Amino acid sequence: MTFSEHSRVFFLVVGLVGLAGVTAAQEEDLGVSSAALALHAEGLIISRCSVCHSADLIAQQRLPRARWEATVVKMEHWGAEISKDETDLLVRYLSARYHPGAADRLPPFDSELKKAEPLTQEPVAEGPLTGIAARGAGIFEHNCQACHGAMAIGGMGPKLVKNPILKQEDLFWEAILHGRGAMPAWGSVLRPQDIADIHAWLVTR
Amino acid sequence: MKEDPVSRSLSRRTLLKKVMYGLGGTLALGHVIPRVQAEERDVSKGETDRLVVHVVRPLDAETPVQEFTAYLTANSRFFVRSHFGPPPVELLSDPNWRLSVGGMVDRSLTVTLTELKQFEEVSVTAVVQCSGNGRAFHRPKAPGVQWERGAVGNAQWTGVRLRDVLAKAGIQAGVHHVQFQGADRPVVASVPLFTRSIPLEKALHPDTILAYEMNGRPLPLLHGAPLRVITPGWMADSCTKWLTEITVQAEEAKGYYMQTAYRVPMTPVEQGRAASGQSTPVEAMVVKSLVAAPKGGETVKAGPVSIQGVAWGGEVKVAMVEVSLDEGKTWETARLVGEDHPYAWRQWQLVWKAKTAGTFTILCRATDDRGQTQPKTSPWNPNGFLWNGWDRVTITVAA
Repeated sequence: MTFSEHSRVFFLVVGLVGLAGVTAAQEEDLGVSSAALALHAEGLIISRCSVCHSADLIAQQRLPRARWEATVVKMEHWGAEISKDETDLLVRYLSARYHPGAADRLPPFDSELKKAEPLTQEPVAEGPLTGIAARGAGIFEHNCQACHGAMAIGGMGPKLVKNPILKQEDLFWEAILHGRGAMPAWGSVLRPQDIADIHAWLVTR
Repeated sequence: MKEDPVSRSLSRRTLLKKVMYGLGGTLALGHVIPRVQAEERDVSKGETDRLVVHVVRPLDAETPVQEFTAYLTANSRFFVRSHFGPPPVELLSDPNWRLSVGGMVDRSLTVTLTELKQFEEVSVTAVVQCSGNGRAFHRPKAPGVQWERGAVGNAQWTGVRLRDVLAKAGIQAGVHHVQFQGADRPVVASVPLFTRSIPLEKALHPDTILAYEMNGRPLPLLHGAPLRVITPGWMADSCTKWLTEITVQAEEAKGYYMQTAYRVPMTPVEQGRAASGQSTPVEAMVVKSLVAAPKGGETVKAGPVSIQGVAWGGEVKVAMVEVSLDEGKTWETARLVGEDHPYAWRQWQLVWKAKTAGTFTILCRATDDRGQTQPKTSPWNPNGFLWNGWDRVTITVAA
């Protein structure tokens, strides 16, 4: 986003309500955001943003909503895999949590979310899931490829084609849900069906 | 500046000693001396010793300011700024690494590091500073890595003159810019590369070099091994690391990192507002100083306290450093000490007689030869570049 584009958005927001108003609106927005949405936003930060940079870069910013918008749009433009809905959620979450009036040191985001329900849209473990390889290819490309390489041949993360972990499904699931070494946890981003689909696709490779 | 091999190896030893002992013999007074000596450093050990990390990946980390009691900043304590982080080591080692020079030249060149070292070797001691150093002090806060005081360092850089390399290639008429490309690459290919250019005049300046040594050691990986650009007196956005391609051209480099980032507005911008007018690339440093000792939060005994630090003016010499202990109402001139080289920083010292117990804030500000003095706070700009507000350290004097 250029300065002039940025200034258009900025003047619109600041010009109408003033900086104090923006901050108050952001605080309110935080109240509106449900715990589950915050959890989902944090999951997006790990899965979409942390592909290129660690999340500490985000947590040290204190920006008004217009600049968060500009930043998220810039990242999307640069190749961050975020949908329109995800962009909106990220901007809402980031500008509520990391606004100019926020304290230098914030409590961990999940301190009030301990009881939050995990983001699963369908019941877990109602019998074994059957993965669909054709769907898995797309889910892999969207979520895993940046680190594990196109067609899972490896990159910053290990090669997954014919990787022994594919035969140890419990380990495979554990790594995706909770992370492993440098790999972040994907439990708040991928649904169990997604994971099963990715697995199904990988074993065909 | 050319040194023969014998004096070179001697000077290298002297250099290491300087890095190890800091101000050592220069300052006659103060409890700081034993402490500095006690912290003997092995410059070859570890690449990032005791840095304050702002971003884990790609690494952005700054030097704790108390390190600046030493004239030269040790390689392992030198701040690290990464756009994408170091390229794979195998791309940078002998069989694979090449420097190419192309664009509007008579003869394109491709050279190995050994071939590059056939050009006359020169050394320059220069401050290298991130354009965003001090960004955390801008209000309202500007986006980017929230650097505080230590995204800066002073090192001896050894390499060859860029102008000599360009002369060998032969610059054609109509050239105005020299573009640099490093070997570092983003994780996701759609992210723009860190491509930068400097005006031909700076590229042809005899002190602009392609450096392969830092403080007498091969350039460390995090600092751009095997070759980086050093533009003495200019901010580090021009000092491309992991350099592999030089392109001689008519226009400024294209792309995000030249056309959008690392620019400052040419007309003042109201705090918190976006810039609307024209902008210019961040180039020359502005005059700046830091208090290196005592360090913030330290408790000192009543009596004489040695206040010391560094000051630099980029392409302009430092003329004066002043210290205030009353929030800027009165200023006392510090003594400039130690080595005095263009582009390097100048060390300074002031002995303050702490008479009463309590909390005190030490402020310092420098003035350069052109009469530019550090302001209390720097002009706001949307990306928080070029902070050079008064430095500020709060200490306690014990009863």
